Amino acid sequence: MKEISFMLNSELRSVSVEPNEVLLDVLRDKLGVKSPKCGCERGDCGACTVLLDGKAVRSCLVLAVEAENHSIITVEGISVEKLSALQEAFIQFNSFQCGYCAPGIILAVTELLQAHPKPTLEQIKESIAGNLCRCTGYTPIFDAIMALTKEEGK
Amino acid sequence: MKEYTYIGKDVTRIDGLEKISGAAIYGDDIDFGANLLHAELVSSTEAHAIIKSIDISEALKVKGVYKIFTGKDFPYKFGLYMKDRFIFAQDKVRFVGEQIAAVVARTPGAAKRAAALVKVEYEPLPAVLDQMDALADGATLLHPDLENYPHVPWFFPKPGTNVAHWRKTRKGDLEGGFAQADYILEDTYTVPRYAHCAIETHVAVGKFDYSGRLTVWSSSQSPHTQRHLFAEALGLGHKDVRVIAPHVGGGFGGKAGVTMEIIPAALATKLKGYAVKLRYSREQEFINTYQRLGVVAKIKMGVSKEGKITALDHKIYWDAGAYVEYGANVVNAVGLSAIGPYKIDNVSIDSVCIYTNLPPGGAYRGFGYSEMLFGLESHVTRVANELGIDQIEFRRNNAIRVGDTTAYGAKMNPNGLLECIDKVTKAIDWEHRPVSQNPNTVIGKGFSLFWKAPAMPPNASSSAFLKFNEDSSINLIISGMDIGQGYQTVMAQIAAEILSVPPSKIRVETPDTDRNPYEWQTVASHITWSSGNAVKKAAIDAREQILSLVHRVYNLPLEELYLQDEAVKCTQDPRFVLPLKDFVVDGIMTKDGTFKGGPINARGMFMPEFSSTNGDPETSQGGHPNVHYTVGAAALTVEIDKDTGKIKVLKTALAIDAGKALNPDLVRGQITGGLLQGLATVLYEDMRYDAKGKLLNPNFTDYKIPTAMDVPEEIIPIIVEVPQPDGPFGARGIGEHTMLPAAPMIANAVEDALGIRIKSMPITAEKVAMALLAKKK
Amino acid sequence: MAIAHEFNYERPQSLHAAMELKDSYRNSALIYAGGTDLVVNIKEGMLKPELLIDIKDIPELHKLCLDNGTLYIGAAVTFMELIDTDFVEQACQMLHDAAKTVASHGVRSRATLAGNICSAVPSLDSATPLLCYDAVVHCQSLEGTRNIPIGDWFLAPRKTAIKDNELVTGISLKIPKEQNAGVYLKLGRYGGEDLAQAGWGIWLNNAKQYRIAHCALAPTPKRAFAIEALLNGKELSPELIQTAIALLDEEIKPISDIRSGKEYRMHVSGVMLKRGLYAAKDRLDGKIVEPAKLLGGI
Repeated sequence: MKEISFMLNSELRSVSVEPNEVLLDVLRDKLGVKSPKCGCERGDCGACTVLLDGKAVRSCLVLAVEAENHSIITVEGISVEKLSALQEAFIQFNSFQCGYCAPGIILAVTELLQAHPKPTLEQIKESIAGNLCRCTGYTPIFDAIMALTKEEGK
Repeated sequence: MKEYTYIGKDVTRIDGLEKISGAAIYGDDIDFGANLLHAELVSSTEAHAIIKSIDISEALKVKGVYKIFTGKDFPYKFGLYMKDRFIFAQDKVRFVGEQIAAVVARTPGAAKRAAALVKVEYEPLPAVLDQMDALADGATLLHPDLENYPHVPWFFPKPGTNVAHWRKTRKGDLEGGFAQADYILEDTYTVPRYAHCAIETHVAVGKFDYSGRLTVWSSSQSPHTQRHLFAEALGLGHKDVRVIAPHVGGGFGGKAGVTMEIIPAALATKLKGYAVKLRYSREQEFINTYQRLGVVAKIKMGVSKEGKITALDHKIYWDAGAYVEYGANVVNAVGLSAIGPYKIDNVSIDSVCIYTNLPPGGAYRGFGYSEMLFGLESHVTRVANELGIDQIEFRRNNAIRVGDTTAYGAKMNPNGLLECIDKVTKAIDWEHRPVSQNPNTVIGKGFSLFWKAPAMPPNASSSAFLKFNEDSSINLIISGMDIGQGYQTVMAQIAAEILSVPPSKIRVETPDTDRNPYEWQTVASHITWSSGNAVKKAAIDAREQILSLVHRVYNLPLEELYLQDEAVKCTQDPRFVLPLKDFVVDGIMTKDGTFKGGPINARGMFMPEFSSTNGDPETSQGGHPNVHYTVGAAALTVEIDKDTGKIKVLKTALAIDAGKALNPDLVRGQITGGLLQGLATVLYEDMRYDAKGKLLNPNFTDYKIPTAMDVPEEIIPIIVEVPQPDGPFGARGIGEHTMLPAAPMIANAVEDALGIRIKSMPITAEKVAMALLAKKK
Repeated sequence: MAIAHEFNYERPQSLHAAMELKDSYRNSALIYAGGTDLVVNIKEGMLKPELLIDIKDIPELHKLCLDNGTLYIGAAVTFMELIDTDFVEQACQMLHDAAKTVASHGVRSRATLAGNICSAVPSLDSATPLLCYDAVVHCQSLEGTRNIPIGDWFLAPRKTAIKDNELVTGISLKIPKEQNAGVYLKLGRYGGEDLAQAGWGIWLNNAKQYRIAHCALAPTPKRAFAIEALLNGKELSPELIQTAIALLDEEIKPISDIRSGKEYRMHVSGVMLKRGLYAAKDRLDGKIVEPAKLLGGI
């Protein structure tokens, strides 16, 4: 067991972890942060996406020990005060159904919008191509992001 | 048409905030504290074998292991429609992946390490991996004891064979129909198995407390059905079994009925005081839950030269897997409906449920109709083309209409099939034949009709409780599952419409069988219709309580009272406005200081009392097994690369008759989502097994489900509304149907573009390219 | 899913410390950078290391630069960094193409080029640009440095020329001075991320010199020297390309697997070679080419 500390959703957290524990399990089972979901355990589905130093990564493939001295953001971390404009757009456009993939997709798009505030449809598709959604057919997700980024330009 | 306040409106989903903020709790998100144990399964590596011995001695030595259980500990059978499964394999295994034992340990890692050390010795038996082989004389029997298996009365197993159920439907004079025909086409179509691929895998936690009460937390479409099967299989009273179903991360039929959930339920009964969790890995999700059944369909269709279908002989052979307790009902449903949405006077359908040494088949969005329609709608296109009749005209001429008889003799419900055909034809600009500007590609168009009825026991029922809170907000207590389709929102809309309380003030929580009233299952696209009727009745019950109270206290005529804007109003006295929040809990104070009324609590129930399954076993004539059909039409335009075989969907339109779209945006969401799921089954998904019955692609690396890069360029959702007379506000279900036309319309478009008819799914780029090469040679 | 296998984890702060660990643990220590392949393999029981050596704190391994016509990519540089770095795209568009086809965004933000070539699977997209640009893999151990030409790197599926006490420190590519262009074409089963059914990297310059490499069509990624020899010095023409395609029978050894039948791999290789050659030529002529769209389907 190794004691590690890192910024989790803007709060300094400490936790003891074994080297073979992945970040996803530590977040969920030891730190009570449940929005990153387990879907495939091998990086194919994106449900476990978190932002590691601002970059969307698969928390099922990151060893928890690595998080030491880094910053992790999950959907809980962007929902404290109020929802982000992106989250509001997701609700408005019914961009989710069962909701299981939604936290991962929101984080992936959050990263995208930071780099490209006005993304093209191609960029949107590319940014979430690794986040599988079995329900929506993705179209309502594209619609929400396109509408949001168009509005911001006004 | 009546103008509604909430019905027919794009009401924002009431579960949006919790799902988008990360607050929504799914099965694996619940904390159980220090007494949580983790189970890991030991699974069969053989497709068919006798279990000679199970050695757990090495596994028991692993640090953290608590106990190991095998079939000996649980000699119980279970099953929804046919009791042919055990909780753990007993003397035999019948598919690769079947559960043989469970290691229960303090940590998931210890459970996994130990499970790998359990040694199972097998004596292999011949395995039958193909339904046609299983049907042949002398085939190895999977269930020699079939005659002793309890099953519902409308199943007809054939003991001494691998046939678990044979649905026969006969109508008119088949030979006469073929004699009338000017043209007869006969061919065979095949469909492989498919996986649901909900992004959340199955998870369930069982806890048996010291008082002897079993609670199971389960990611499920069917909490009440699970409670019933757990109680039955484990010998417990229903009041002592409680199923709590949190949010479900996708179902698609895969979380209907009972599969792995019975394992932690059973384990818990031997681990008093502990909670025991079983969470499937993605691989387990692929190999040991229900799968969509494989199909070989032989179709013989006769038509007159004027284009009327004179006879249809449809034989469908289902690869139903090692246990068919749920899957046999897929076979049954299609066996009643394999005429498609057509009026055909002379019909023979044989739908044969066949045991094979592959994982159990079960419910999958579409419930067999996708598989059936791939052949039928391919065949219809070919027949029309052979006759030189426009395929749309051909479909239109043969389309089933209200009052026509179905294959089993019941009358067809009101429907907008012709309107769907017209609207799709127009949306896709069917007459226009675009030519590709790219020398490497060609463009083609495909069309398909679809229909589907809910497949359910005749007494499948729904019920609802509704209670008012002090601020006139409402708790609507129901037991259907919002598996993503928007059930909670639509039920809130129904109550809102009746009670004039906005849906945003209605809380619909996920169910708990101890507190929520009975619901059969969230399957069959029947929940909007059935649960909607129950909710509507509950809301009307509440309204009656409210109005009769106001009538009693204020002495206003009952017929003049109505609800509007969360208040009781009176048609004859515009000044009378009594806000609901003033009295729906606390009652109304009268002049003498006493109170009348009290908390408004209401109930509603719905059962389709006209439904029955007592049709003749040899013909299926006589019963009323299907409550109604939902119909529609779809078309698409594709661009196909002549060298690589790659297919790009340029545009697709799908029209569905929702009866009444209670929330049009949610209907459109089902169309975009269902179409993509359907297109994936025809373009790239399929389950591949090796010669020993082992799945070769049990992961998303090699079982490809669509990504954001795979969405058609343009999707046109079209809603048609011909009311369902017994539906809530005229609604009927549409959830499964949206994937039904995808496969045949791709097959039809490929032929349109390339002149090649592909009769087996999936129609991959590879298959198209190789077929083109073969054609050139 | 919990990882059943137990191991230790070290995060050395210097290259020397990393080499010392690797030297003492040898094959029982594995280098951990992105982990996107490694963690999956450990989870599934295919690898059982005693120790993981995380190299991400070693500053020099993050080096990514273009100096004197040499593109140097440190062992900890991720695919996302390659994609987002302008000089990489300008210097070596084929590498940029290939990087964009590796897995998906959330994986590319962790996965490294060096880790990719160490996995040495036959379908290795990134191998084709490295082969075409005659890349050199820099390996280091306490014994010293070895610079291994990429052509000698891939020995067999999942087997490379690295020694058990070495770690890869970086990869360098010589960027030709003359006018040149390259393209990477990948065929997958659909529009989303996929392991290649076939991959072709094609390079040419204004002197009509050609370099061609493929993946997923033989036990290891390879250069197609016979085809290059045929093409060198010649202007592209339908006849010439047909002659080149005729050499495929000798050049590639595709197998049938879950992703594709060998017949389709053989057939589509001819299509890819033809379209790839024209696409590379188009790029040489300054035209914009979108490789992802050249094979249809998207």
